Parts: sequence; structure tokens; C-alpha cells
Amino acid sequence: MFPELLVTAALILLISAVFSLATSGRDLRHVRTVVLGSTIIASLLIAVVALVTLITNETFAFTVYQPFPSLAISFVIDRLAAFFLLIIAIVAGCVAAYSTEYVEHLDGGSRRNLLCGCANIFILAMMLVVASATTISFILFWELMAASSFFLVMYEYDQPETRKAGIFYFIMTQLSTLFVLLGIIALYVQTGSFAITSLNAASSPLIIVAFLSLFVGFSIKTGIIPFHKWLPYAHPASPSPISALMSGVMLKIAVYGLIRFLLDVFQPDIWWGILILAAGTASAVLGIIYALKEHDIKAMLAYSSIENVGIIFVGIGLSVIFTSVGLKDLAAISLLGALFHALNHALFKSLLFLTAGSVVHATHTRDIEHMGGLARRMPYTSALFFIGAVSISALPPLNGFASELLIFTSFFSSVSDVSSLLKVLLFIGLALFALTSALSAACFVKAFGSIFLALPRSAESGDAVEVPRMMLIGPGILAAACIFLGLASLQIFTLVGYAVPLPDMLFVGALLLGMTAIVYVFLWFTASRETRVSETWGCGTFSQQPATEYTGHGFSEPIDIIFSAIYRTRTKNERSFFDRMNCIFSEGKAEIRLMKVFEEYLYVPMARKSYRLAEGISRFQNGCLDTYLLYVFVTVVGVIIFLGWFI
Amino acid sequence: MNADFVIYAVINTLLVIAVAPFIVSLIKKVKAWTQGRRGPSVFQTYATLLKLLRKEVIYSPSSSRIMRVAPYVNIGSVLVASLFVPLVFVPEPVGGIGNIILFLYLLALARFFMALAGLDAGSSFGGMGSSREMSISAVIEPTTIIVFAALAFVFKTLNIFSMFSITSASGTPVTPTLILLGISLFIILVVETSRIPVDNPETHLELTMIHEGMILEQSGKNLALMELSSGIKLTLLMALLINLVMPFGLVTTLTVAGILIAIALFAVKGIVLGGIIGLFESSTAKMRFFRLPSLFAMAFFFSALTIIIEVFA
Repeated sequence: MFPELLVTAALILLISAVFSLATSGRDLRHVRTVVLGSTIIASLLIAVVALVTLITNETFAFTVYQPFPSLAISFVIDRLAAFFLLIIAIVAGCVAAYSTEYVEHLDGGSRRNLLCGCANIFILAMMLVVASATTISFILFWELMAASSFFLVMYEYDQPETRKAGIFYFIMTQLSTLFVLLGIIALYVQTGSFAITSLNAASSPLIIVAFLSLFVGFSIKTGIIPFHKWLPYAHPASPSPISALMSGVMLKIAVYGLIRFLLDVFQPDIWWGILILAAGTASAVLGIIYALKEHDIKAMLAYSSIENVGIIFVGIGLSVIFTSVGLKDLAAISLLGALFHALNHALFKSLLFLTAGSVVHATHTRDIEHMGGLARRMPYTSALFFIGAVSISALPPLNGFASELLIFTSFFSSVSDVSSLLKVLLFIGLALFALTSALSAACFVKAFGSIFLALPRSAESGDAVEVPRMMLIGPGILAAACIFLGLASLQIFTLVGYAVPLPDMLFVGALLLGMTAIVYVFLWFTASRETRVSETWGCGTFSQQPATEYTGHGFSEPIDIIFSAIYRTRTKNERSFFDRMNCIFSEGKAEIRLMKVFEEYLYVPMARKSYRLAEGISRFQNGCLDTYLLYVFVTVVGVIIFLGWFI
Repeated sequence: MNADFVIYAVINTLLVIAVAPFIVSLIKKVKAWTQGRRGPSVFQTYATLLKLLRKEVIYSPSSSRIMRVAPYVNIGSVLVASLFVPLVFVPEPVGGIGNIILFLYLLALARFFMALAGLDAGSSFGGMGSSREMSISAVIEPTTIIVFAALAFVFKTLNIFSMFSITSASGTPVTPTLILLGISLFIILVVETSRIPVDNPETHLELTMIHEGMILEQSGKNLALMELSSGIKLTLLMALLINLVMPFGLVTTLTVAGILIAIALFAVKGIVLGGIIGLFESSTAKMRFFRLPSLFAMAFFFSALTIIIEVFA
């Protein structure tokens, strides 16, 4: 029955996408509602399949198309795949519910039909990547996912910045496909088959090449530093539901790829784990440090995605390290932590992107310095964003805490059992991991404070009104899931049969509620109940001005200064004076510029080099027929000599 | 959940609420003496809190629900955190209570709400306090985690209850490792509870204040809750230090006489440690904000040293 359900879901997505393409000439709301409604139905079907598979732990496989005996498009759903299908289903369903209202407020006329249809193809592609049983279908749907997401990013293609972001994203995503393809070819050369099965071979240079290519490919897709730069460009440029899908789900598909190949194909060495751990730690720390500096709400969320993917990589890296030193239990705990964090990040990040979309819709700006005071104007949106902020800051009793606690616990428990050198390494990793989660709390205090609290800092922000109901229901479900997964974390792991060292968060949550309630009731009867509303003290000014509030820039200033070595700010100060003694100031220019370290030292030089290389190669293509004939001749001669010698 | 734990929860919570204002006043008294003043009575904080409860609460017109909710969440999470640190009686842990990471993050939850409440009224003092508090807490976090990881490493457990059971069973476990960890814990205590040289709990000068800046817009019973929860936090961290380094008197079985003796002994140790904190505060000057990371680096060094001693011993 399950393959049929899954195929039905896939067909619903495909047919609705075709339907939207067929009706793309007419700008009708009904069309979009039908398409998004079918997304919700398909998500429900996928969720049912995924949940049943997760709980029963059954595996089922089926082949769809087999042109040659050795080449098949076949699918297998096991627990790991079902877990990621669940991520896709929850986020896609909630995003679709949100989009029913959101797309109606977008510009673009009938292009909006295409947006909904293309999003369905995107969801379909992600689902099929996860379900793939062979590397060939993996890469096929991987590329479909890349292409459809490119169109989604390019939705507002008439904006120059969107075009730039789109091209940047396209190049990065193609690089990712290239490396994944390289890895898959290397695997094929090693095993002679496209099946995703265990290698059963000691590590050889070819296997290491395969792993490194796959690792780079997946890292580019997840935005691991230094391959992260596309995220802060692509996310602000694309519509919010698309950002939610890309950040919440697509990054997880690459995580899935890494976990799948590490678990089922390779027998990792310890240095692979250290590599993954180092990459993860660097992304986590730098990601959140950059996020603190960002004042475009969606770019801030994009950097925070880099941080969270880093945390997931830390979990995976630890798991690989522990497996190779023989600590099976700890390896399981850290892998479960990584997987649980993948689910949690999918939930709270799409929640944050959707509510950020509502905020941008209401205030017409993405700059958090022009927001403020929205908590009173958009009470429900602010409550939803708040739940997301608490979760992402890893505060108990919500879900972000539960998954980070698993990773913390495996760090803490491991240090007594490993070799001295590894101990030092793990302690460094632990210290940086702790820094990350504390900085993310600072980042989201700043974000929530600047967006929702105090007085509005622009006229638009002052006139903001609450969004329609459907734009609250989608994020609302995600917020409820965040709370549920946090409180019931221990029970869920017990249900699926894993013993994890989590505290009983339901008990802790009940204690929190109980203590707060006791204090409230006690004070209700003993203390004064009088309240009064009166102006904030403004050091003698008559009324409070938005200009005197603490800004987001001001808020992150201490962290800027403490971490100035990482930010690499450049200050320029030019002054001219009227007199020779430099006393009477005439004019001056001062600027503080944030250096884009990776862009200036890595991306631009790489781009220049490849451009120069391409120029060199293009000299061969001179447009003269005789030259081309010569090339053909030389090639044929070369092939003949090669075949004569080697075969 | 067993009866022992319920009794423990009631005793521990009531004790911590009762002791916290006294310790706050005690430190003030010691500081006053070192400055040659008589200082307020050691029961002054109780009177202040009672006075605040009778006053009305004033909200800013720009403030939102955060301002109204924060004091309760703050006291709620600090009280739950207080269940994690047994003051006088160590029962069997229940449902993961006592997990050292959860303890830290409950304090972080309280801080998160306090920092948001600081931003809510739109006053620049509140924002300044929140900003500094979040920055400092971020920079001290690696040290805190390393110290706690070192504790977990030394005691081979993640649970504070089990750590206390081990220390109380061995009587006088003052090893060089624990002394070093004690120094680091002391620095963490000073930072987390906003004391000199990190912050000055007595001033309302905008140049120096951190914690006081955040709660500047609080009034009436909300202010009382904020003050009480910061007192409880101080007591908890002191109890953590006391019961790890000087555990004698801590009981693991429930008897009336044992509890009473333990309370008396805890009071003596609390007064001694409170005196030490007061003297320490009087003997140093407030540090410039951006020189604080080097203080944290020192705490980091001590904890790293402990680990190296343990690793290569």
C-alpha cells in the first residue's frame, strides 16, 4: 500500500504543476489555491507514509523505470529516508497553507501560478532524492531540485539584485552537482554499480576522492563555510515561502545525502570525522557571528541557517569519530542529535522565515532598523516569531534545546574515553559549540527586540497591521510542532526505540509552568494589583522618541568589538583642514566598511582565475572551419593511437 | 517521582527563597564595613522586597506583553533551576532533574526574557543593559561549559545530584583539581551574578551598569520578582561552589536532625563565602567593559589547566 500512497503523492504534485503551467496565461486566484491545496494533500500523504515507516521501522523498495539491467530508477524507503520525508512533508504543507494568502500579495500577475507550480516540482524533486535507491536517480533528481530552486529564486527577475543572487546561486548549485557527480562516478568506478550499497573495502585513494567530492558537493549545498556565500544572497532575493522551503528543507536534503553515504556506503576513517567536525564548528561559529552583524532580516536568518547546519555537521562529525574509535553508543547519540536538530531546524527556521515574510509584507522593508513596535501591532505574528526565536536559541523546554543537549551530552561523555589528542580537540570543539549557542541567543534577542519591541522606527512600521488568518495557520502549526517536539522529546525517542540521555522535558515544562503559576497566584493574593501606564523616563525629554531607542547596530556593537578580528572591519578616515596646523576642520569623510573576507579573498580570485582560463580556452574556438577540421583530425589520430596501444 | 523528592523540592525551594535576600544583604554589609560604613541591616532586602510588593506596577505605553510576562518567567525558571542544586539534602535524581546542561540553559532562559524586557520599554538604558548582558554571557559561555565539562570529567557524571553524592560521601575531597575548578567557578559566579569587577550591582550610572540597566523600567512586584530571582541565582551558584568544595554536612538520607544540622552548616558556609565575595568585590575596581574578555580568558585558562592535569596525570 505504501508505494501506491507515495506514487499518488508524487502524481498529485506533478499534475498540479502541469496544471499551473497550462493555466499560466491567466491570473486566477482559484488556480493557485487548487495547486497549493494539492500540495497540502500530497504533504499529508507523504507524512502518513513517513510516520508509519518511522514507527514500524519497515523498509520497502520499488522500481519505477529500468531501461537497462544495470541502470534503474528505483526507490527505497527506510527509516532514514522516512525521517527526511517527514521533514519535507511538514514544512511543505505549512508553507503551502501560508502561501495561499502570501502569493496573492505578491507582484507578478500570472507569474504567480508558475511560482506555485514550480514549488511543487521542487518539493517533488526533494522527495525523490530522498527516496532514491540508486546513485543515478539520486543525481537526476538532485539536478531537478537544483534547477527548479533556481527558477524559484529568480521569481522577481526584474530586480537587478535578484538577478545577481540568482546567477550566484546557479553557479554554486551547479558546482555542487558537479562535485556530487564526480563522487558518484568515483564510486561507480570502484564498485561497478549504481546501487547505494556498502563498499566493504578498505580506504583507497579512489574512495577518499569519492568521499571528498561528495563532502564538498553536499557542503556547497548546505552552505558550510567557505561555500556559504550563496545563502545570504539567495534568501533575501526569493519570496519568503521559497526561503522557508530552501532553508528548512533543501539544506536538509544535502545533510541527508551526507548521512546516507557515510552510513551505507563508506567505512569512514577518523580524519573524515575530524574534517566534518572542523567544518561544522567553523560554520557554526562564523555563521552566527556574521548573523549578528546582519540587519537584513532574511540575510540574518540565512546566516543563522549556516550556523545550524554547522551544528548538524558537528553531530555527524562526532558520530563518525566515535564510530571509528569504537564508542557505538555515543556515536548513536550524536547522530540522533544531528538528525533531531535537522528536523528541529527545519521547523523553527521555516517558522522564522514565514513570520519574517509576514513582517516584511506588513512593513515593506527588510531592514530591522526600520521596524520596531510590531508586538503591539501584530500580536499573533510576534508570538509565533517569538516561539521560533526561543527554539533557535536552544532554550528549554523547546525543541532546539533538546537536540543541542544531545550533542552536548555526547561531547561531555566522550572526553573520558578517547585518546589525549582527541580530548584536546573535543574540548576546543565543545568550547566553540557553547559559544555558538550563547551567541545565537544574543542574535535573536537583538532580532526580536529590534523588530517587535519598543517604538516603531518608521512610518510603515507604525502603520503595520496583522496578516490574514492563513498566514498565521501555517506558521502556527510549525510553532506547535516546535513546542511539542521539545516537551515530548524523551517520549518520542522512547517510542521509536532509542534510549537517549535526555531529561524528561515534559516534567521540566510542567515544573516551569507550575512554579510560574504558584508565584502568580501567590502574588495575586498578597501583592498590590494596581498597575499604571506611564511614559518611559527619557532623561528629561517630554516624550519618548524612536531615535533615542537602542538600535540593532548598537545592540551588537560590543560583540563587534570583541570579535573585531573576525569581522575585519576597515575604517577609513579622511579629513581636510582650513589651516596648516590642522586645527580648523573643513570637511571630512569617515567610513566603516565590513570586509567580505570570503568574497574578497576566495570567491573573486577564483572567479578571475577561471575566467582567465576560459579566455585561454576560447582562443581555440576561432570560428574558422579549417581549424575545426584540424581538431577533428588530431582527435581521431589520437584515439587511434590510444586504442592501438592500450586495447 | 517519590516522596523523598517531593519533600526535597519543598525544602529546597523554600530554603533558597528564604536565604537569597539574606545573602544579598550580607554581601552589601561586608562591603559597607570594608568602606568604613555601618551599612544597612542584614535583613534590609526582605524589607525592600515587601515594600515593593505593596507598590503599584508602572508600564511604559510602548511596552508589550514581554514586559508583563518576563518577571514571572524569570522567577519560574530560576526556581526550577534551584531544584537542580541541592542546598542541604541530596535525594535520588528524578526525570533528569540535576542535569548540569539543563541547569545552565534554565538560567539562560531567564536571561533571555530579562534582556527582552530591557528592550521593551524603549529606553536606551534598558537596551544598553541587554546588549552588554548578552555579549558578556556569550563570551563567558565557553569558559562555563569547559568548567562544567571538567566537573563532568572529574566526577564521571552529568548530574549535579550525583556529583554532590560523591563529594559528600568522600567528606573532604579538596583535591588540587577541585581547587582550580573552584577558582573558575568563583569567576563564573562573579560574572553570572553581575558583581564587581564585571558589573556593579549598586550603581545606576549608565556607564557602568549592566544588570541594573536591564531592570531599570521594572517596578512594584515585577521589580521584586527580578531582584529575588537574581538573589536566588547568586545563592544557587554559591551553593554549587560550596557543596563541591566544602561538602561536609550535606545529607543524603532524610532525617529531621540531619536536615537541621545541614541547614546550620550551610548557613555558616554561606556566610563565609558571602564574606569572601564581599571582600573580593571591595578589593577590586570595576573593570572596563572591553577588558573583561581577558578576565574570562583567565577563568578559561584555569579550567583548561584542570583538564590537562586530569588528562595527562
